[in-house]
Amino acid sequence: MKFLDKKTIKVDRELNELDKFVLDFIKILEKHTDYVIISGYVSILLGRTRGTEDIDVFIKGLSKNKFIGLYNNLKKSGYWCLNSEESDELYSYLIDGLAIRFALKDETIPNFEVKFARNKLSKDSFNERINVITKEGNIKISSLERQIAFKRYYLKSDKDLEDAKHIEEVFKKDIDHKKINIFKDLIMKDEKA
Amino acid sequence: MKKLKPGKNNKEDRMNFIKYWASYIKNNSDEVWSRQQNILINSQIQNARYFKMSRKDYLDLKGEIR
Repeated sequence: MKFLDKKTIKVDRELNELDKFVLDFIKILEKHTDYVIISGYVSILLGRTRGTEDIDVFIKGLSKNKFIGLYNNLKKSGYWCLNSEESDELYSYLIDGLAIRFALKDETIPNFEVKFARNKLSKDSFNERINVITKEGNIKISSLERQIAFKRYYLKSDKDLEDAKHIEEVFKKDIDHKKINIFKDLIMKDEKA
Repeated sequence: MKKLKPGKNNKEDRMNFIKYWASYIKNNSDEVWSRQQNILINSQIQNARYFKMSRKDYLDLKGEIR
């Protein structure tokens, strides 16, 4: 597992059921909008020894019609939304800044927790994204420095501190600590606002 | 490769394992470490699929009933 360049990591890992779930879902998602995966799954994709029941993803804002297009495509492809069957209701949740969850039909775990990127911090997560190349497809994740800062200075649970440590240890030579500090300051500023 | 250092408490023990496992990843091929990680991940997914929870129960558990 290594950086090929500043924006690309190649992982020749054996894919597990969670990876396949992610790859199948994003194949549909990226036909409709741009996305970036954040939070726990990022560290798991990069080797962390824990599971997760959901994958957090920011998507770029969509018009109602475009969201309905995405939703219909997901339904046709065997997914359901845990929050509601009504597209109007689901769209209103997204517009209000709430997350909606998609899983395979009749299942709840694992699920994708989908949110519009609305504030500056979340919109900026699309910048400096990393493309992770796996054996069966590519996955776009937030930058490692952003991941570390968010987990260490915003979420701060034991699990999140461990996730941050894992990424830092595995990619020691590639991590820009100045960037982590910049994100730390942004997070602190956002918290105070 | 680093050896696993026992921690003085649970938190330190867990952080020491994080460092140990990171060292293992860096010293072994992706296929070797991921096969071990996947035992854990796949068993969690299989368990979730076997012991199904309703949408309502799941959202209730997450505090997301609207």
